[in-house]
Amino acid sequence: MHSLNWTSRLISRALRSSLSTLIDTATGATPKNGQVRAPRPHFVSVVCGFAKDNLRHKYKPGKYGEDSWFKASTDQADVVGVADGVGGWRSYGIDPGEFSSFLMRTCERLVHCTHFNPQRPVNLLAYSYCELMEQKKPILGSSTACVLILNRDTSTVHTANIGDSGFIVVRQGEIVHKSEEQQHYFNTPFQLSLPPPGHGPNVLSDSPESADTMSFPVKDGDVILIATDGVFDNVPEALLLQVLREVEGERDPVKLQMTANTLALMARTLSLNSEFLSPFAISARRNNIQARGGKPDDITVVLATVAI
Amino acid sequence: MSLLAYNGDDVSSSDTEPDALIDFTAMLMQRQNEYGNWLGCGGKMQNDHNEQGYHLEQYVLGVLDFSSQYGIDYSISYTAANIIGRPTKFPAYGDYPETFTMRTYGDWWQRAPSATREIQPQNMPAVATHDYIVVYFEDFVVPTEVAIFETYNPGAVVRIWAHSITKNWVCLWKASAEELSKSGPAESRAREARRFAPPLKKTSIITKTLRIDFNHSRLHYYTEVDAIMLCGRTVSLRRMQHTLQELQRTGPISCKLRSLKFQPSCRDNYALKLHEFINNDLSKFLVDNKVDESDVASATATTQIVASNVPDICLTDLPFEILLKILSYLDLKTLFCVGQVSRTFYDISTHPLLYGELNLKPYWQLANSELLCTLAKRATMLRKLDLSWCGGFGDVSPTEFKKFLTQRGDNLTHLRLNSCKFLNATCIETVGIVCDNLTELSLRNCATDPPLLNFSCLANLKNLERLDLFQTAFESELLLSMLEGNRKLKHLNLAFCGVSVNMDNVASHLATYNTQLISLDMWKAHFLSARGLQSIARCTQLEELDLGWCLREASLGDGLYQLLANCPKLKKLFLSAVRGTTERDLVHIATLGKNLEQLDLMGILNITRERIYDILVNCPKLQLLDLSFCDNIMERDFDVIAEWSRMFNVDIKSSHVPYDAR
Repeated sequence: MHSLNWTSRLISRALRSSLSTLIDTATGATPKNGQVRAPRPHFVSVVCGFAKDNLRHKYKPGKYGEDSWFKASTDQADVVGVADGVGGWRSYGIDPGEFSSFLMRTCERLVHCTHFNPQRPVNLLAYSYCELMEQKKPILGSSTACVLILNRDTSTVHTANIGDSGFIVVRQGEIVHKSEEQQHYFNTPFQLSLPPPGHGPNVLSDSPESADTMSFPVKDGDVILIATDGVFDNVPEALLLQVLREVEGERDPVKLQMTANTLALMARTLSLNSEFLSPFAISARRNNIQARGGKPDDITVVLATVAI
Repeated sequence: MSLLAYNGDDVSSSDTEPDALIDFTAMLMQRQNEYGNWLGCGGKMQNDHNEQGYHLEQYVLGVLDFSSQYGIDYSISYTAANIIGRPTKFPAYGDYPETFTMRTYGDWWQRAPSATREIQPQNMPAVATHDYIVVYFEDFVVPTEVAIFETYNPGAVVRIWAHSITKNWVCLWKASAEELSKSGPAESRAREARRFAPPLKKTSIITKTLRIDFNHSRLHYYTEVDAIMLCGRTVSLRRMQHTLQELQRTGPISCKLRSLKFQPSCRDNYALKLHEFINNDLSKFLVDNKVDESDVASATATTQIVASNVPDICLTDLPFEILLKILSYLDLKTLFCVGQVSRTFYDISTHPLLYGELNLKPYWQLANSELLCTLAKRATMLRKLDLSWCGGFGDVSPTEFKKFLTQRGDNLTHLRLNSCKFLNATCIETVGIVCDNLTELSLRNCATDPPLLNFSCLANLKNLERLDLFQTAFESELLLSMLEGNRKLKHLNLAFCGVSVNMDNVASHLATYNTQLISLDMWKAHFLSARGLQSIARCTQLEELDLGWCLREASLGDGLYQLLANCPKLKKLFLSAVRGTTERDLVHIATLGKNLEQLDLMGILNITRERIYDILVNCPKLQLLDLSFCDNIMERDFDVIAEWSRMFNVDIKSSHVPYDAR
C-alpha cells in the first residue's frame, strides 16, 4: 500500500553488490559526466505580470493578484504552468488567489516527486487538486489552470488546460499550436473548484479529467507563450504573433524578459483602454452583450523558447 | 543462539577494547589471532580514511519505512515522503503540510477507551519508542553528526540508530528519561523551529541508513520534521571492502565473545578455575554482566538480592518456585544473560512459564530467525506475542515465522504484527489457520507486495475482540465476513484503509452484527456518507469514534444527532476536517455529549465562539478540545481561548498557519 514500498530485498541486494556498483560509478563517472554536458532540450523561460489592483496588491513570489504561476525543472522535464483564481468567491469571504496559488505550488512540488509522469500533465493537475482536500486548513474557491510539460527525452510538449488560460506556440512566424478555450457559457470558463460546504450543488465544478490535452513535438527555437485570460482577452492574436515572432530562437533570458515585459504592459494598457475593441468585447458582442474596451484583470505572462 | 550474540549496542565497543579477548580453548587461538590482526588493520585503516575521506553533508534520499504518518499514502501533505531532500520550511515555525507528521501526540490516545496494554511490559526501555522512520542517504559515511530539522513542536526525537554496512543496528544517541521530561510541554511551546543535532556516540561504523525513534508523550501537539541531515567522513572503497571481508571471516562465536563484557582470565587450568569462579564469583559476574540501563529496576534489585545471598547459601538452595518468580520480573535480554550463568540457571531461565508473554518490539534490532527458533523451543505456553517492528532487512524469514506459529500459535490470544516487513500472504494464511483462539489481532501498517494482502484465511477467526488494520490495505468482502463472524468485536481500527472499501457497507454491517463495539477508528476513510454515520449510530455501546477526514464536504444530516442521542457513553469524538459539520451539530454536541472527554473539531468552518463556550459549559468531563484551523477562531480570539482553557481546565489546541508565511 505504500508508494514508498518496502524494498528490503532490494536493500540487502544493494548492500551485497554495493562494492561492485561503487566501482562502476567510479569508473563510469567520466563518460557519464560527458553525457550530462551534452545539450538536452530545455526551456529558456521568463515571467512577467501585473495584478489588476496594482497599487494595493502586495507582491508575493509566484502570484500576480489572483493569478499564480510556477516553473519547475527536473532531469526528465521542464514544466511551466499558470492558474487564474475565480474572483467571484470574494463575496463569500474567500481569498480567490489562495486556491490558484496552492494549486500551482503543489504542482511544483509534485514535479519533484518520484511518481511524476512527464507525459501526463492532467495527472499533475488532478493530484494537485486532490491535495487541496488533504489540507488541514480549508482552501476554498476555484481556478482555471494550464500546465505545459517539455519531455526532454522525446522533445515533445504535453499540455493540459482547464478553462480560459492558455498557450500559443509560434514557429517561423506562424501559430502552430494553440489551446482551446473551454467555457460553459460566456465569461464562465471551466474550473476546478472546492466550494464551501452546503454550496456543492450550485457551484460549477469540472473534474481535472475534463481538461483539454494536447501533445506535439517541438523544434529548436519555438516560442511558447503561456498566459492567463488577462492577456488573451485584451491583446488580439495578430498583435501577439507580431511580438512573439521576434524572439524566435532567442536564448538570452534578458532579451526574452524584455519581450515578456512588453507583452504584459501591452495587455495592461489595452485592458484599461475603454475604447479599444478587445477580443473580450468582440466575444461579448457575439453573445449579444454590448461591450467596449478591454477587460481589466490580473495579467500573467510566461514566455519560453525551446532550446535543443 | 542468545540475544547477547547480536547485541547491536555493543559491537562497536569492541573496537576500543583491544583486550576484550578470551581464550577458553586453544581452538579459539586461531580466531584470536585473526581478530588481533583485524584490530591492527582497523588502526591502519583509520589512518587511511583520514587521508582519503572527506567531510560530507547529505540529506535524505528516500524513506524505507515508517510506523505512522498523518497524511494519506498517495498524498504529499503531512506524509513521510516530505522528509526527503533539503528543508523546505525551516527555519519557519508552524503547522505546514510540507513536512513529515505522525499520527498522534501527547498521551491522549493512551487515555482513550481503545488504549492497549504492552505485552511483557518489563521489556520496555525507560523511554519508549512510539513511532519511527527509517531513511537512507546516497553515500556511505562514518557519521559525525545527525541534524534533524523540526519545524513544529520539537522535542520528540529520542533515539538515533544507524544501520552499519555489516548489517548491525547501532544506537548513535539516545535521550535519557530526564532529558525527555525536561523538554516538557511548557518549553515546547517556545514556538521556534529547531535544528536538533545531539552529540553522537564516537563510532567507526559505516552507514547510510538511519532510523529515528520518536516519543510523543511530552508533546503539546503534533510534531513536524522537515528534513534530516547526515554528516560524516566518506570512506574509501578499500576500507569498506575490508570491513565486509572481516565480517565474513569472523564467525558468530567471535562476534559473541567480542560483545561479552566480562572476561575471566584463566590461562591454565581453566576448567578448574571456571568451576571455582562459578561457585565463588558468580555474584560479581551478575553485577558486571548487567546489560545496560534499559534493565528495569527490578532486575537490578534481583541481582543484588542474589549477590548478597551468595556467600551464605548457595543459589540452588532457593526453592525453584521462588527463583522462577524472581526471574519472571526480568526482561528478555536479562533472562538470556541469566541463562548463561550455569546449568541450573539455564534450566530455570528456559522454563515455559517465563515465556507466556513475548514482546520483541523493544528488541526489533536483535530479532532474527535464530532467536525466533530458540524462543519457539522455550515458549510452549505462549499466550501473547508481539513481533512488531521486527524483521526489517530480511532478518526474520517468513518460513521461520510460519514454523514458529505452527508450533506455538494454537494457544495465542494476542498477536501483534505491526509494521512487520517479513509478512507475506502465506504468513497471514498461517495466522488464520493456526491461531483460531485469537482475541486480539493487530496488523498495523502491513504493506506488502502485492498491496492487497490475501487475508481470506482470517475469516476463520471467530473470537476477535480487537482488530487493528491501521494503514493496511485489505479486501472489503473479507472485512465484511470477518465482522459477521466476530460478534464480540469491541475495538476496530480501520484508519487509512484505502479507497477500495465502501465504508457505508462496513458501517451497516457493524450496526447489524457488532453492536458490542466500543471503539471505532475510521481516520481518512473514503466513501463514508451520512447514511453510514446513521448506521454507526446504532452501535449504542460506542465510547470512542474517530471520523477524522471522513465525510469531507458532505452534509451530516441527522447523523451526528442520532449518534450522540444513541451513544451516551461516548468519551472521544474526533471530527477533524469533517467540513460539513454545522452550528446545529455543535448544539447537539453541547446538549448530548455529557461524557465527552476528547473532542476534535480541527478544520471545521464557521464555528462561532458562542458554540464553543456552550460545549465547554455543558461537557464537564472534557479534557481535550482541538480547534486548530477553524477559520472563525482567529488570532484575536486566542486570548479568550487561553482563558477558557484555564477556566474549564480543558486543553484547547489552536494551531494554524500564519497567513504571511505561506
